Amino acid sequence: MVRRAIIIGCLACISLFMVGPFLWTVSTALKGSEEVFAYPPNLIPKEIRLQNFVDVMELLPLGTFALNSLIISVITVAANVLLASLAAYPLARMEFRGKRLMFLAILSTMMIPEQVIMIPLYRVCLELGLLNTFAGVILPFSVNAFGIFLLRQFYGSIPRDLDDAARIDGCSPLRIWWEVLVPLSRPALATLAVFTFIGSWSNFLWPLIVLRDTESFTLPIGLSLLVSTFSANYKFVAAGAVLAIIPVLVVFLLMQRTFIHGLLSGSVKA
Amino acid sequence: MRRATPYLFLLPASMIFVVFVFYPSVDVLWMSFHNVSFTAKTTWVGLENYRRILTDDTFLAALKNSFLYLAVTPVLIVLSLGTAFLLDTGIRGTKFFRALYFLPAITPMIVVGIVWKWMFNEDVGVLNYLARETGLASSNLHWLSSYPLNLLSVMAVTVWKGIGYYALIFLAGLLAIPKELDEAAMLDGASAWQRLRYIRIPMLKPTIALVAVISSIAALKVFDEIYIIIPGSPQSEQTLVPFLYQTAFLDFRLGIASAMGVVLFLIVLAFSYFNVRFWREQ
Repeated sequence: MVRRAIIIGCLACISLFMVGPFLWTVSTALKGSEEVFAYPPNLIPKEIRLQNFVDVMELLPLGTFALNSLIISVITVAANVLLASLAAYPLARMEFRGKRLMFLAILSTMMIPEQVIMIPLYRVCLELGLLNTFAGVILPFSVNAFGIFLLRQFYGSIPRDLDDAARIDGCSPLRIWWEVLVPLSRPALATLAVFTFIGSWSNFLWPLIVLRDTESFTLPIGLSLLVSTFSANYKFVAAGAVLAIIPVLVVFLLMQRTFIHGLLSGSVKA
Repeated sequence: MRRATPYLFLLPASMIFVVFVFYPSVDVLWMSFHNVSFTAKTTWVGLENYRRILTDDTFLAALKNSFLYLAVTPVLIVLSLGTAFLLDTGIRGTKFFRALYFLPAITPMIVVGIVWKWMFNEDVGVLNYLARETGLASSNLHWLSSYPLNLLSVMAVTVWKGIGYYALIFLAGLLAIPKELDEAAMLDGASAWQRLRYIRIPMLKPTIALVAVISSIAALKVFDEIYIIIPGSPQSEQTLVPFLYQTAFLDFRLGIASAMGVVLFLIVLAFSYFNVRFWREQ
């Protein structure tokens, strides 16, 4: 009983440390100008001011930024799921020349940080006319070795008899992939989709380099503009941050199981 | 099955890798031996870019800061391992806490940066308020404007955001330890501390190694939190990637920045190699 109380006490203290800073930001987002700078600071605003959220939307088109982020994230997720599940099929199920080499080449891309190659990547996008476009933000992140590896492992756990039966019935490899492997690998695809979504929604450095026009900014880049322009008026910055975290909270609450089980089952993203 | 079939399935992903990973990897090496800018003609300069950066005090300071940044790894391991032990006690309600701690991990760094920049505010921030009220500091601390405290502050943010994520990885490792081991030790009269020290921690070594590698490499690549929280501080107080970004995209010295990229790659590579070897020998 005592042991239980101590553990719950520790867990509650950690919670305060993890959630406290968020609550302080929410509180700031609800305050009027004078109260933001009040000393000593009060956690609960004397007067709740929702006007800050309206004001910040007028300062910068946060709705447009959020829509841009959503479009980019959804397409990135779709591309990753499609390309990884296609590429994983022959690696898990077929024998062909150069298979080992191709698998190693794919894994080797995990060793090359995006930060190392961002200059030539910029030049590639310049040559292909992808600068300042959503395609330029999406394409370099449209597939990754982690996803291919994850799905190859998962296909390995699906009984081969199912493919064989489908082949005897005259199914082409493409149909076997689409009608046998893809439906059965839904849990792995969901894990990949959720992690790709969060990665893409949070992505900062590459969109910062590629996107130039304010109308094409993603939410993180738009918010960084808000920080650099309105640092002195932090209630707006805080209001912007609160608005930006709402979609993340919704996705998290809906997909919590996929997230946590994805991580607990050991499919770790390196 | 036709001979071309497997290659056709691999084709779309391979094309992306060739254009957006393999070609740029070769190009960054090529650029690092050239004087490249968007306007002037590209010329071969041999090792000149490398000589320039390795004799540049600002670059060396940024390099030193990147190594200092690696200190987040042991802190992250201790804190997230401790959190994982607490979450593994099987007490009711741990699932709720587990989800709560994961929140900073999925929050975009821009939001985390905004949240903490406000906590660190030197005039009206909560941290200075607490520091003064508790008597830990007599005057306002310069969390974000004095070196090396500004770098340490940003490192604290990296740790804060990472704890929930790495705690879950450790929790996965703990759940994989057979329960019989613990039960057998308990029958032999081992205390809770002894079971932790002699069973769980040794069994978790591969997971600790994994977390050490992942978080060290992430530390060497850090950009977002520095760019967001201490954008105005001198380059000599920042780390490698922000300096690389500045050199390439604001100063347009592409050859020099490419040489920095190659140096970063070599450090990351050496780091993952030595880290893996060290833990294999243990």
